Amino acid sequence: MPGQRSRNAGVPGSRRGSLPGDPGWGTLLWRPLRLVALVYLALLGTGGLAGVWVPAAAQDAAAPVASEVFSPAPEGHIPPPELPLDFSVVDTPSDDGSSLTLRWDPDQVMQTLGVATIAALTFARRAVEETEFLPVGRARVRDGEFRDAGLESGVAYIYRIGLEDEDGLLRNTAASAPLVPQANFFRTHRTNALILVLLMFGLVVGFILAARKGIDLFIRRIAGLDAIAEAVGRATEMGRKILYIPGIISVNEPQTLASLGILGYVAKLTARYGTKLEVPNIDPLTMAAAREIVKQSYLEEGTPEAFNEDMIHYITQDQFAYAAAVNGIMVRDRPAAIFLLGWFAAESLLLSETGQSVGAIQIAGTAQVTQLPFFVAACDYTMLGEELFAASAYLSKDPLILGSIKGQDMVKAVILVAIVVGVIMVSAGVPGFADLFSAL
Amino acid sequence: MELQLPGFGQWIAAFFTLFVFSFLYKDNILYRFAESVFAGVSFGYYIGLAYINTLEPNLFSPLFGDFSSNWSLLIPFAFGVLLYLRYVPKLAWISQWSLAVYIGYYIGVNLLQRLHGEILPQTKGTMLPLNVEFGQLIGNLVVIVGVITVLIYFFFSSPHRGPLKPAARTGIYFLMISFGASFGYTVMGRISLLIGRLTFLVDEWARPLVATVFGG
Amino acid sequence: MKRQIPIMLAIIASVCPVIAFFFPDRWINEWFNQRLDAWMVIIASFALLLGIVSMIQVNIHKIRRRARGWGFSIIILVTFTLMAAFGLFGGQGERADGSLYPFTWMFQFVFSPLQATMFSLLAFYVASASYRAFRVRNVEATLLLIGALIIMVGRIPLGTLIHPLVPDIAEWVMKFPNTAAQRGIIIGAALGAASMSVRVMVGIERPYMGKS
Repeated sequence: MPGQRSRNAGVPGSRRGSLPGDPGWGTLLWRPLRLVALVYLALLGTGGLAGVWVPAAAQDAAAPVASEVFSPAPEGHIPPPELPLDFSVVDTPSDDGSSLTLRWDPDQVMQTLGVATIAALTFARRAVEETEFLPVGRARVRDGEFRDAGLESGVAYIYRIGLEDEDGLLRNTAASAPLVPQANFFRTHRTNALILVLLMFGLVVGFILAARKGIDLFIRRIAGLDAIAEAVGRATEMGRKILYIPGIISVNEPQTLASLGILGYVAKLTARYGTKLEVPNIDPLTMAAAREIVKQSYLEEGTPEAFNEDMIHYITQDQFAYAAAVNGIMVRDRPAAIFLLGWFAAESLLLSETGQSVGAIQIAGTAQVTQLPFFVAACDYTMLGEELFAASAYLSKDPLILGSIKGQDMVKAVILVAIVVGVIMVSAGVPGFADLFSAL
Repeated sequence: MELQLPGFGQWIAAFFTLFVFSFLYKDNILYRFAESVFAGVSFGYYIGLAYINTLEPNLFSPLFGDFSSNWSLLIPFAFGVLLYLRYVPKLAWISQWSLAVYIGYYIGVNLLQRLHGEILPQTKGTMLPLNVEFGQLIGNLVVIVGVITVLIYFFFSSPHRGPLKPAARTGIYFLMISFGASFGYTVMGRISLLIGRLTFLVDEWARPLVATVFGG
Repeated sequence: MKRQIPIMLAIIASVCPVIAFFFPDRWINEWFNQRLDAWMVIIASFALLLGIVSMIQVNIHKIRRRARGWGFSIIILVTFTLMAAFGLFGGQGERADGSLYPFTWMFQFVFSPLQATMFSLLAFYVASASYRAFRVRNVEATLLLIGALIIMVGRIPLGTLIHPLVPDIAEWVMKFPNTAAQRGIIIGAALGAASMSVRVMVGIERPYMGKS
């Protein structure tokens, strides 16, 4: 296939001797030499100046030269001329040494080759000691970058880029110089996340320590919290049970853990007043954790004999089968109070509407933005988003945990300030500040 | 098209559909039957799925097939088995180990997902320019003010007094409009689900049945 | 010792993904991220047996006590056993003659329609919830009503008939005020979750041993 014919021969053999990862004197000597070679080839006007491996320092000097020398191939010429596309191969920053990144300037490629942004480039690679190029992937011109992963460390790789022209003919660039992928120690692009993690730890732990020293911490009232005691009292008076639904996913979700924190408090009240408590479960690990927590509450209240594992029982793993069964429990047992706290999806309304129809006091809470409207519409009290987490901390009445809420509020204040500064900077035409918040 | 009586499967599916709908009137024996079958079948289904999709290919098959390169799977195997020590009263406390590892690992994962995957991009997304044309400016201002006031509503460690009070109040208003919008958006989707179910009853069960019995 | 081991295990397990997130080293990423990820799924699958034990216990107690509706407990146990047996020993998908294996048949004609029907009940529940929500008279409920009406009307052809700008208003509400509020909730909830993570990682909150 003529289009596939490799133009390796066009690459000066001398390039192979110098590995870009190698900072030795060979590289230093090669830089001026390469520039000379580029200018020489440009002057010759061979049109074969593509695929140059360009290190950052020489890139600016080389790029305009490469684009100027391009002249379209005469019609019917086979094999097609080398693709005059400038690209650079660089070590992927912040990786484990298993990938290299190919970069090109989309605007320049489009201008030079007259192709659309959606045109697909194909990439082929070979290790230096191999002879055949293997296809490794595709990307659009406008992507500007292609990351080739799954490489072996310590091996030098050579790349070439291919582009199919209108006649379906594949034209390849010249091959790049060999490059060895390097393993990096730290993912530098995640420094912002590291700072945020340290800030979170610093402020939360700092206020926990301050709380330990006894500083007074104010926490505002959270709607629904006072209602918990009222709901348990009502159930006790009516001699009916309390139904507690800890969401529909496992303990890998923080909302489930927050819900279990509130369950611990509710269980203390039911232990104290001898109210019946039922916790139907959809996830077995949540069930296991809920049992530990309820058992502990009954122990602390001095009524371990009133604890029975069947109070916290399992139904099924399926969302709607679970909702069907819990709806059944609601209409048959008519609980006086229903708690819907944790992570919910579409079943939120099935549960809360049925609970509403049996006249129970309903206290709900979730951070799922799509389900909050239904809880707000169907329940007596709803803890919105972060309130669910704060409630669980608040109820523990542990000064250490209250300190952590203060710490999290401080991070919130930092975010608010950052937003205001960011708006000012962006409006002033300085996008750099907002870029500090890029999640890469 | 030649019509046939609905197949056995269609009859079963149609009956279960009607049994569940009957709950809308009130709880009854048919709904309870469907609910019980649903609970049993769905749980059995997930047991089958967990074995076929997880335990067999990811644990038993590699462990028994090529032990020397998969010995490390003994670790989750052991933690999985430890969960059951809760049924041995004297050793029940050891079952907490599995729970500790599971909760601990995802706590670490979540810390990063929330800080890196949610807070950073959402904060960046709110840094909107104000030097834009009027329509866009109003929109951007609404987003900026909305995010700030909602976050102020979520301040727990200082009383909502002074300037914080109107700000938190505005935050609540934003939340309510958003809940309404989200509600309105979902209503349409839910109605189409119902239509889908009714279409099944009519097209796959009732129509072929009526047509066959009465000679359509 | 009873106290320390789980705390240590939780702290070690929580630090692993954090290290893997920041350090690209191959070994770290394989052991602290990929393998641990796979292991957690295995542990969770083992946990299903806890669910089975609980489910069987509760239903057998009901049958023994002849509790109200104990007959339904028999149905749950029988259908569960059948379906689990089909899944574990009966094969999946289609047989060579085109007929379905029982596991797949049950999925298609029992499980799936039940799921879809439960889901579709939401259409009725949404109606009753709206009716109740929209009857409440205060500023919050009114705003909720306005938000809902704008979106509902804006997304149907009727909206354009009322005024050609109605769909645009609906889109504006979704794009700006709605985005703002959702963003606020997401940031707040993320902070709550992160703060809880810190508490678990330093060991002052221990949900795995009944102490929240």
